Amino acid sequence: MTKNSLKNGPDELGYYGEGESAMGGMAVGETLMPALHELNLAFEDAIKDKAFLDEFAYYCKHYIGRPSPLYYAENLSNKLGGAKILFKQEHLNHTGSHKITNSLFQVLLAKRMGKKNLICESGAGQHYSATAAVAAKFGIPLIGVMGEVDIKRVNQNIIKAKHYGAKLKAVPGTLKEAITDAIKTWITNPDYYYVCGSAVSSFPFPKIVQFAQSIIGREIREQCLEQEKKLPNMIIGCVGGGSNFIGSIHEFLDETSIKKIGVEAAETAALTHGTPNIMQGMKSYMLASSDGSKSLGGSSLGAGIQYFGVGPQHSYLKDQGAVTYTSATDKEILNAYKVVAQSEGISSALEPMAAAAEVLKQAKGKPKDFIIVLSLCGRGEKDLDTIEEHMGKDFE
Amino acid sequence: MSERLNKIFSKKTPKTKLVAYFVGCYPTFQISLDVIKEAIDNGVSILEVGFATSEASAEGKIIKTAHDHVLNNNDTLLDVIKLVKEIRNYNQDVGIILMGYIANLYKHPIPKFVEEITEAGADGCLVVDAPHELKEENILRNELNNKGLSLIKLVAPTTNETRLKEIIKISSGFLYQVNLSGVTGEKSAHQGDVNALIKNIRAITSLPVCSGFGIKTPSDAKDIAKTGCDAIVVGSTFVKYIQDNIDDKKLPQNVGKLIKSFTNELK
Repeated sequence: MTKNSLKNGPDELGYYGEGESAMGGMAVGETLMPALHELNLAFEDAIKDKAFLDEFAYYCKHYIGRPSPLYYAENLSNKLGGAKILFKQEHLNHTGSHKITNSLFQVLLAKRMGKKNLICESGAGQHYSATAAVAAKFGIPLIGVMGEVDIKRVNQNIIKAKHYGAKLKAVPGTLKEAITDAIKTWITNPDYYYVCGSAVSSFPFPKIVQFAQSIIGREIREQCLEQEKKLPNMIIGCVGGGSNFIGSIHEFLDETSIKKIGVEAAETAALTHGTPNIMQGMKSYMLASSDGSKSLGGSSLGAGIQYFGVGPQHSYLKDQGAVTYTSATDKEILNAYKVVAQSEGISSALEPMAAAAEVLKQAKGKPKDFIIVLSLCGRGEKDLDTIEEHMGKDFE
Repeated sequence: MSERLNKIFSKKTPKTKLVAYFVGCYPTFQISLDVIKEAIDNGVSILEVGFATSEASAEGKIIKTAHDHVLNNNDTLLDVIKLVKEIRNYNQDVGIILMGYIANLYKHPIPKFVEEITEAGADGCLVVDAPHELKEENILRNELNNKGLSLIKLVAPTTNETRLKEIIKISSGFLYQVNLSGVTGEKSAHQGDVNALIKNIRAITSLPVCSGFGIKTPSDAKDIAKTGCDAIVVGSTFVKYIQDNIDDKKLPQNVGKLIKSFTNELK
């Protein structure tokens, strides 16, 4: 890595970029500051330990089922009549999303640190059920915090997590409220390990989550070179906090010829409609009242991308012009779901269908050797009720 | 460094050892002002006036509910600064600290905030989620220093000795010792724990120390005041009283009586 590489992590205080426009940092109360510094040191130490990384790699392969396939969506490509579309099949991972890779990494880190209890937050419940699975596997008790609105709509993940032995703490609201409450739960128990589920919150979480999820991009490189004899021209992924997308693109950040497009939910598009603010431990683009006091939430059908903020590294990449960020409406998401389901026989989670909606726009008119990789980061089971509700109304 | 805070702590103890936290503009600007005037008349030495933020990460249910109420009323940091000005007009001796989260200050923005609170007669501010690692804390501290105001820093039970020394080095006015790991208004503080925490600080500095979190009753206050701290902070108890009696016509006077029950134990 060179000095000016976009792949260089944040500085020692967690900032991406320099001066007053830098994003990230550490904006939490004093009670958690020692825990965050301890975590950062433990992380830096662990990633120098070959035995630790080998253990992570072992369970990635045998427990999660990595690498996830890079699948040529031939029917969809033909239907759109343009670019060659490849799905990075993260939904085929154990527990059904990309989340488990980060859960595995952080629970192994917690184990290495000798932590006896885990906390996590969740929006779509994917991070909750993934962390619950790994917590069960390594025998560490977990409390998951989720919003009541989300608990109702992603019931399957809640049931699975219960079967794995995790305890659920319900708070009014959605992912935003869950994140704030997870921090409160951690303040009350600072000796617990907080398994942050996305590339958000205070340093060092954005760095840790990016590190764990960057395996996605490394696999894309290897698989694409092997299968297609070239690298992708474009990578598209959905963005809530942004863990799946940063994991997909981090490997390629210095390769400017590869276009990267992140897609947020139109109703909570922090990078398109937000401004920099400091909440939930980080400085990043957020939707908030002009005086900064109130986070603003819209609602999206995709619980995992209904988030008023975004990970600080994405804010930095936006400011650098290194990545393009756009958004998709509920209607576009449902339409993309239908197209993918009917052309490829894949019932995807709704969140990555925000990215698929952008693929539908981008693929058309592109030459046949133009490769678009879509990160398909979750499976549809959790959303079937929501989708059924809209069947016949918003689409047939 | 605030001259007024200096004066408050310059005698062996302040007038009374009570620091009272109120959510500014809760339940309304006027009632909030009337309540705070009663608090002053009943012996509070320092007021912490809170401004509301939706994602306040260290607040328990009581203060969170008050914050949401203020936000729903559209009372902003500007209104709280106006409130501070009214309080200062009413009394020139009481210490006034604005207390809240960095989001509001960042958007205000910080230099304008410092200018306005100086003009309003505040003595400093305390920002819960702005540790010295945060760039905006450095900007804020610098601006406050230039105006002779104090940035009140928190010390937690989790703060180790190295960190404690760093914090003391940049503190002025007083140190806020957080008595327990938790959010506001839930757990109770234990005298033995607080004794140990205060002793650690006293070994390093002569800076005044206010002890807060987990102090709910006058008897708690009396116990914690014996730990060697210079004052104790009570917040959720007062905010809860306001919450439970929000329609009481005599709310300010009754809060005054409640304050008196604390200050009687803290002279």
